[in-house]
Amino acid sequence: MNGLAHTAVLAAIVVAGFFAVWFRDLLSSVVSLGVFSLLLSLEFYILKAPDVAIAEAGIGAGLTTAIYIIALRGCNVLRKGGGGGRK
Amino acid sequence: MKKSVLFLIALLVVVGTLWGALDGIHPFGEVDKAPMDDYYIENAQRERNVNNLVTSVVFDYRGFDTLGEAAVLFTAVCSVLAVFRKGGYD
Amino acid sequence: MEPLSIIVRTICDIFAWFLAVFGAYVIIHGHLSPGGGFQGGAVVATFMALLLVSHGGKKLLSFVKPGLYSWAETTGLLLFIGTGFAGLTTAFFYNFLAGEGGLFGAVVPLGANSGILNSSGTIAVMNMAVGLEVIGGLSLIILYMFKGIRLYDDTGREETGHDR
Repeated sequence: MNGLAHTAVLAAIVVAGFFAVWFRDLLSSVVSLGVFSLLLSLEFYILKAPDVAIAEAGIGAGLTTAIYIIALRGCNVLRKGGGGGRK
Repeated sequence: MKKSVLFLIALLVVVGTLWGALDGIHPFGEVDKAPMDDYYIENAQRERNVNNLVTSVVFDYRGFDTLGEAAVLFTAVCSVLAVFRKGGYD
Repeated sequence: MEPLSIIVRTICDIFAWFLAVFGAYVIIHGHLSPGGGFQGGAVVATFMALLLVSHGGKKLLSFVKPGLYSWAETTGLLLFIGTGFAGLTTAFFYNFLAGEGGLFGAVVPLGANSGILNSSGTIAVMNMAVGLEVIGGLSLIILYMFKGIRLYDDTGREETGHDR
């Protein structure tokens, strides 16, 4: 059971990393990177390192995503109204 | 043509080195045991009256490393404030 | 900068407070449960990031004082170094409070985690100091990175002023 969850999380990490590169829309790519970090923190928790898991969830999934979104807004990629991105 | 040959040689060198390094790693899930680990596990709860051994190592036995980490964070904040300040030379 | 949609704003309004309380829990219980000053401070700093991303700067920067975060960072670092120097009669970073009774001085029984919050001496003080420093530092990084970028509205005109 533990091995199954481990394998599933690892496969989902690879899928999330692939989508982070594959999306043309930058906001979707950033959200996919946040999912990548969240799954990575879950992987740390499965490997019995809860300290690193909390740090990864706070910094990787929270602060880094926020900094990327602020940078996208600064580059005028996002339009008003909270919608999707512009090519 | 020449570039691809160079790339293949570099790839072979890197893969061979990494493969040789991976051969020497201990198997997954079986950590190397060191005498210092046993000392922490045996004595940290009695010496420092703490229940979380990771925190006792980070903040007490190896507190000087944490001081360096705090200094690194302070330096990062100072540099961000110096780059994004108002005014300046522009 | 325009705020995001009302769904994102409502969810961020609710969950930001839970994140702040959880981060404070992680900091205070750093010597009992997994986590510590750095992890809890990063979780609390997510509070400011969520509000800044969802609401935009016009609403938030009007009542956020960066001086408060600057004070938190310097106080945390000074408290950390001061706690390290306070045990200098024996050694640098000596745990002079543990097992002495009084503040953070309870004696824990050997064995499983007994959950005594009043234990571990200077480790708890250093947890809180590092947590205060990380809260101040990461929030300052987010705030000043946001204030430093240039924002343009729909007509291509640059938004200026403090409360953009």
